[in-house]
Amino acid sequence: MKWVAKDIEVYLGAKEYVDTVVLPLLPVSFADDIKQTASMTEFITLLSGQLERQFKGRLLMLPGFSYIKTESEEKLLETVNHWGAEFVKQGFKHVFFVTSDSDWKAREDKLDGSLIWLPFLPLEHMDKNYLNSILEDQVKQMISLFIKKWQDRDSQ
Amino acid sequence: MSKQRVTRRQFLNYTLTGVGGFMAAGMLMPMVRFAVDPVLKHNPAGDFIVTDKKISDITNEPVRVDFSFEQQDAWYTAEVTNTAWVYKDDKGEIVALSPVCKHLGCTVDWNTDKANPEHFFCPCHNGLYTKDGTNVPGTPPSAPLDVYPYKEVDGYLALGKAAPRKEA
Ligand code: FES
Repeated sequence: MKWVAKDIEVYLGAKEYVDTVVLPLLPVSFADDIKQTASMTEFITLLSGQLERQFKGRLLMLPGFSYIKTESEEKLLETVNHWGAEFVKQGFKHVFFVTSDSDWKAREDKLDGSLIWLPFLPLEHMDKNYLNSILEDQVKQMISLFIKKWQDRDSQ
Repeated sequence: MSKQRVTRRQFLNYTLTGVGGFMAAGMLMPMVRFAVDPVLKHNPAGDFIVTDKKISDITNEPVRVDFSFEQQDAWYTAEVTNTAWVYKDDKGEIVALSPVCKHLGCTVDWNTDKANPEHFFCPCHNGLYTKDGTNVPGTPPSAPLDVYPYKEVDGYLALGKAAPRKEA
């Protein structure tokens, strides 16, 4: 489900089926890595859209959390973990953060939730058909990752 | 002496208002047209979209067929990709099913649940459908998968808009 009124209405009526929440982490920078951060944000946004389509009935896809790269690590972690705590309070059993920003990879163990890090693809230079097949591949990988996490949890 | 002379000022006034009016109309018309355009244009949805699947390549094993088209939603045009599960049934009839689970809308897959081979399976809450799209009782979905109407166009499969199955 997406963060739109129509989907949220369904969510409110079927909360017990929606046990997973996904928060995309989208970096913004005006320094040398301005283009990279744009590509990361673009890529993750595209991928989250596909993921949402696949698992519409079980996960809530939140609007991305965008942050400025100059923000201190401490503060970012605090904010994101605050989101995480709220998700748990709301009864979500699986909390995922998806991002292309490798800074999160280094802080993974301090994060309350599962981090899915994917290297971004420079979408703007790609042939459309090629792009689609690559994306499909990435989405497939993510899908099996989600299914695996769900199964692990269910069998616990 | 009833004939009034048109003064230079009046003449200029009339002509300028006239020209100005034309100019205003010239500017406004496209704006008005632009504003009501989506209402006037007929909606292309409901038309059939030709996929890249050859009719002769369809077997009795369901395969995924993706097809994209431009969807016009008032002012907003977007390229959407739809998916269908396509196969030939025992009578050789083509069946094209929507992959959207009737429970809460996840995408169902063919033959991915080991415990239930030859079924459509929804990984979200273990929804199950038989090959013809009928929901298996005892699993969350409460209706059969939607069906796409289809046509043959030069040997290729063309699909319409998926709709709920008619017979119960
Ligand atoms: S969305 Fe398919 S079983 Fe719930």
